[in-house]
Amino acid sequence: MEKYDVAIIGGGSSGLAALKQLSNLGKQAIILEAGSKIGSKNISGGILYSKKPKKGKVTNVEDLYENFLDDSPFERKITKYILHSTSKDKVYSMDLTASHEYQSNFGYSVLMNKLNSWFAKQSVDISQKFGGGIIPRVHVRSITWNNEGRTIIQTDEIDEFEVKAVIAADGVNSEVAEMVGARSKFTSMQLYQGVKVIVRIPEKIINERFGVNSDEGAAHLFAGDITLNHIGGGFLYTNRDTLSIGVVYHFNSLLKNPVEPHTLIDTLLKNSMVSEFIKDEIPIQKEIDKNLPQEEQLRIRFGVAKLIKSWNDTRRNYLSSTHDNTDELKSKLSFIQDQMVTKYGVTFGTDYVESEYSAKLIPDGKRCRMKKPFFKNILFVGDAAGRGIFVGPRIEGLNVGIDDAVRAANAVARAIDKNDFSQRYLGEYYSQLIDESPYTTDMNQIDKDYLKIFLDATKNVPKDSIGKRYGPILKLMSNDTLRGIAVKFVNILGYDKIFSMIESEDTYVKIPIQLAEKHGKIVSSSYSPNILSLAERIEKLNYTEDHVSHIIILKDSEFMKKMIVLCPAKCFTEEGGKTILQHEGCLECGTCSHETEWRHPRGEKGVHYQYG
Amino acid sequence: MTLLNIAVVVKLEPDFSEGSISYNPDGTLNRSQTKSTLGPHSKIAAQAAFYAKVKYGAKISIGTMSGHIANSALQMAMETCDAEVLHLYNDKIFAGADTIGTAEVLKKGIEKMDGKMDIVFSGHRATDGETGQTGPQIAWKLGFTFLGNVISYDINLEKRTVTAKRLLSLRGISDLIQEIEAPLPVFIAIDPSYKYYFSTASLRLTAEKYQREAHERANNYKDRLQTFDSEELGADKTLVGLVGSPTIVYDVQRVPQGKVIRHAEILDGSNPEHIRKTVTAMREALNAMVIK
Repeated sequence: MEKYDVAIIGGGSSGLAALKQLSNLGKQAIILEAGSKIGSKNISGGILYSKKPKKGKVTNVEDLYENFLDDSPFERKITKYILHSTSKDKVYSMDLTASHEYQSNFGYSVLMNKLNSWFAKQSVDISQKFGGGIIPRVHVRSITWNNEGRTIIQTDEIDEFEVKAVIAADGVNSEVAEMVGARSKFTSMQLYQGVKVIVRIPEKIINERFGVNSDEGAAHLFAGDITLNHIGGGFLYTNRDTLSIGVVYHFNSLLKNPVEPHTLIDTLLKNSMVSEFIKDEIPIQKEIDKNLPQEEQLRIRFGVAKLIKSWNDTRRNYLSSTHDNTDELKSKLSFIQDQMVTKYGVTFGTDYVESEYSAKLIPDGKRCRMKKPFFKNILFVGDAAGRGIFVGPRIEGLNVGIDDAVRAANAVARAIDKNDFSQRYLGEYYSQLIDESPYTTDMNQIDKDYLKIFLDATKNVPKDSIGKRYGPILKLMSNDTLRGIAVKFVNILGYDKIFSMIESEDTYVKIPIQLAEKHGKIVSSSYSPNILSLAERIEKLNYTEDHVSHIIILKDSEFMKKMIVLCPAKCFTEEGGKTILQHEGCLECGTCSHETEWRHPRGEKGVHYQYG
Repeated sequence: MTLLNIAVVVKLEPDFSEGSISYNPDGTLNRSQTKSTLGPHSKIAAQAAFYAKVKYGAKISIGTMSGHIANSALQMAMETCDAEVLHLYNDKIFAGADTIGTAEVLKKGIEKMDGKMDIVFSGHRATDGETGQTGPQIAWKLGFTFLGNVISYDINLEKRTVTAKRLLSLRGISDLIQEIEAPLPVFIAIDPSYKYYFSTASLRLTAEKYQREAHERANNYKDRLQTFDSEELGADKTLVGLVGSPTIVYDVQRVPQGKVIRHAEILDGSNPEHIRKTVTAMREALNAMVIK
């Protein structure tokens, strides 16, 4: 049987960080990643933060990858962070840039496929030096301990092998956690469901529309009527030449009031402000004359498709900041455009271009972080350990996972040096490192300084819309001394006691709607986007189908009935009163996992995201 | 460790996947108007060579007879198997060659490759010629044992033998898998169903390493590309090209298209007799689809 020092399960940003840190420390580690290649299963909102907490230290992405700032394919540095309250065509906006910049070096918008491929590249040579590396297309089936206490890993694809320690970085739907019984599945109370689309827009149009230069970007958050009465909201982040647009809702509120995820995202896209953000110039093909001979019809279809493709490519290039032959591209573009119009009767109109639809569950760290994130010699990091910061507009996950992974790698390296992988020496030590993490503190209690910055940002908000319940609280909180006392009091009492107050229909739906209605500006849109149907969205994704389903329905429960509505890919239908599963278009988000036997698809199978 | 010396012979073929094939008025392929790519069977041959590289360690050389447009095919083959050397055999006098004229050039080329070959791989056949003769003819000219229709193989480095499984389709009998052992050197024509599989973590790591190396190499493939004309190959001019090709193309015919006739019959789902009829028809259709 082959032997390795450390197995890292899952090649997302946390798993990759663990590999990098272990390799930096001269230890042998292998990543087992089920996707066809690194990054193909990873989804994020996403903003990657680099933080400088006042108390304690964290390892930031640029600390781990020295050339991150010079070389990595991040999208834009977010320099504007704005919260919009919406009600129909009215929008009330608040600038929260100060709270976004709170204790942070930067926050970059990122696309996980590209970024994780880059992270992987940084670890390749160094991990190889110590006999480690990344093994894609392998899905871990079991982790067991034999009679001598040796840890054996079995997979669906390769021969079993032995390891000394395991770092579980297999995400929010961690199979490792479940198979060894380290924690129970997260409940609907502890999770958010996120659904995202990628919209393509040329770089220079983004710059102009969002008032930024090519290195800067904007983040827009949305609450109010776009939530369709759910706790949570929408977001729009600018990437280099795409936008990440999504909705994130508390799973419990979705179960109470089930609305199809694609309807929720469509509602956001149809909001006049968002419609204006995503619009672009689109070529419209003339319908092909059905009376023409078949071969001629085919020739036209190919001809138009080819021209549109090169029009798109040329226009994208022309409107990017990275070329230096503007005139040449301009004349090429007008030549292609001319051909499209004269040869094939193409016209131009306004619409939007959607490239990728994706979904993911998000663990709410304040509710579900593992208090002891280990089991025997397995250490859990990032989403797998239920760790993420989710406080109003403050949303952090990637940075937490990376920092966790470095802590786990340090603990494992220390255990290797002493050849002691006991719970006490490895697990407890890691748990202690995690307790020392400033991120853990952020998941544990209210940060009064952050609260102050947030309140300062909202101090001009007209109080008449805040409502009876929150008006007096806000007034109280605006006083420094009283706020200090109140925060101390809450932190002693238990942060969890006030969750229902900060995360309520009032805060995410009612107050924003009132604000927008009373004080919002009218934003009108010049067109209405032709939003893709769910079928068209699924059709755009790449899949490697597995004839064996990775999900098995366990019982016909109320929960499963709700999945018919809440599955973002509509994998469930009802037939003769029974819930039926068709796993083929599955996005692997895990929304249905609570009451199903849920596994990640076998190696290489399932969805392959292009953006992530 | 002594490395295995492996050669792969590949062919640039029309890219049928694009659906943009152009024909001359006489029904032959208009090569200048048709996009070309590495032949799909050639790609499988390169994959088979990669297996040996990962599992046993090998130095791989790739050869093809073509014009310079075959550079892209060589590059793709290099990316597939992390080859170290690329050979292009290019000369006007090679034109018009049939399979035996081609085999002569490729044999000469293989002999020019560094060291004595242990295994030469070729595809099952070309998609534009479909004769499947070039491989066996090269083997015959080299004096290597020929193994055709190979679906998997392994090498015993100590005994210097290869054990191969061959897929045999015999008329009237179901498919057979024949396992044979042969001493190196061998010529392997790989079956289209071949797919390599690395069953251990260490092999997977090695495969990943070579795939990355292959990617880098393919980006700079010209550094490793050598071109030979007939003189440099020392080819006998009476054995290559049109002169060395005894085949006479008498006539070229399009593949006749069968007439498609469909009869539609409306059946009632609630009528058991209709259901029975449908099931019987489906059974018959399924039985007919089983290749015997």
